[in-house]
Amino acid sequence: MAVSALNATHEAIVARYDDVDPVYGEQREHRLLGFVLFLVSDVILFSAFVFAYLYLRNSVPNWPPINKDGVQLPRFDVALATVNSVVLFGSGATMHFAMESWKKLDKAAFNMWILATIILGIGFLSGQAFEYHEAQITWAGSTMGASFFTLTGMHGFHVFVGVIYLIVLFIQANKGVYTGSKYFGLTAGTLYWHFVDVIWVALFYLFYLM
Amino acid sequence: MDTVAIIEKSIAFVFAFVVGGTTTIQLRNDWHSTGLDNVVTKILLGLMAFGCVLVILATLGVLGGG
Repeated sequence: MAVSALNATHEAIVARYDDVDPVYGEQREHRLLGFVLFLVSDVILFSAFVFAYLYLRNSVPNWPPINKDGVQLPRFDVALATVNSVVLFGSGATMHFAMESWKKLDKAAFNMWILATIILGIGFLSGQAFEYHEAQITWAGSTMGASFFTLTGMHGFHVFVGVIYLIVLFIQANKGVYTGSKYFGLTAGTLYWHFVDVIWVALFYLFYLM
Repeated sequence: MDTVAIIEKSIAFVFAFVVGGTTTIQLRNDWHSTGLDNVVTKILLGLMAFGCVLVILATLGVLGGG
């Protein structure tokens, strides 16, 4: 009885993951390690710019500093940044749901969640573009402006690349590139998107709250 | 504080609770999962939940100078 139940379970798993491939499993681990190392290298890149910002910040007696024309610079708009942050963090949650839906072989839910992630990602970029347009500082006017536009611009570029990546994943998933057991691209996309969310946590604190 | 800022902070406050709560539940569900991708995901989800706490504190004026 127990053996037949086990056999039935095994058949169900094989039917669900009809392409179980031990070689793929090994390749996946190598790809995953490579991708995580890429994320670590990106953390180092952002860390270098963050420490440069902290150094510049501690080089002046007051923050926000006075610009080259002798004008006291204002603090950044915290209210707008909180909305933008929630939009980006929300996109992290929807991406997680998309990944979980794929694991459960629920393609309709996957499509819905990944599209929601793409829309929220575009929403974040739009919010950032609005903030740049309304900002009372310039890139060249002060160390504050230079640091702000460099770091948030670099992060925004990562989000932009992430949105393109998600669109590619959406197309690939619907063309049958990924299956129930082979979906490393989706895993990498999810990790990348969570990564850009977490980088924003640091930037949000450094520029708006500190 | 002007009206637009109050509206923005109110929206952010509500959605930070929703997103933070959802993230925490997902983190709890995935807590016992193993493998490099799951471990990295758990760390990133935890930091994202922390980000939501920062947003809540910012909307309440505890951080960011009100």
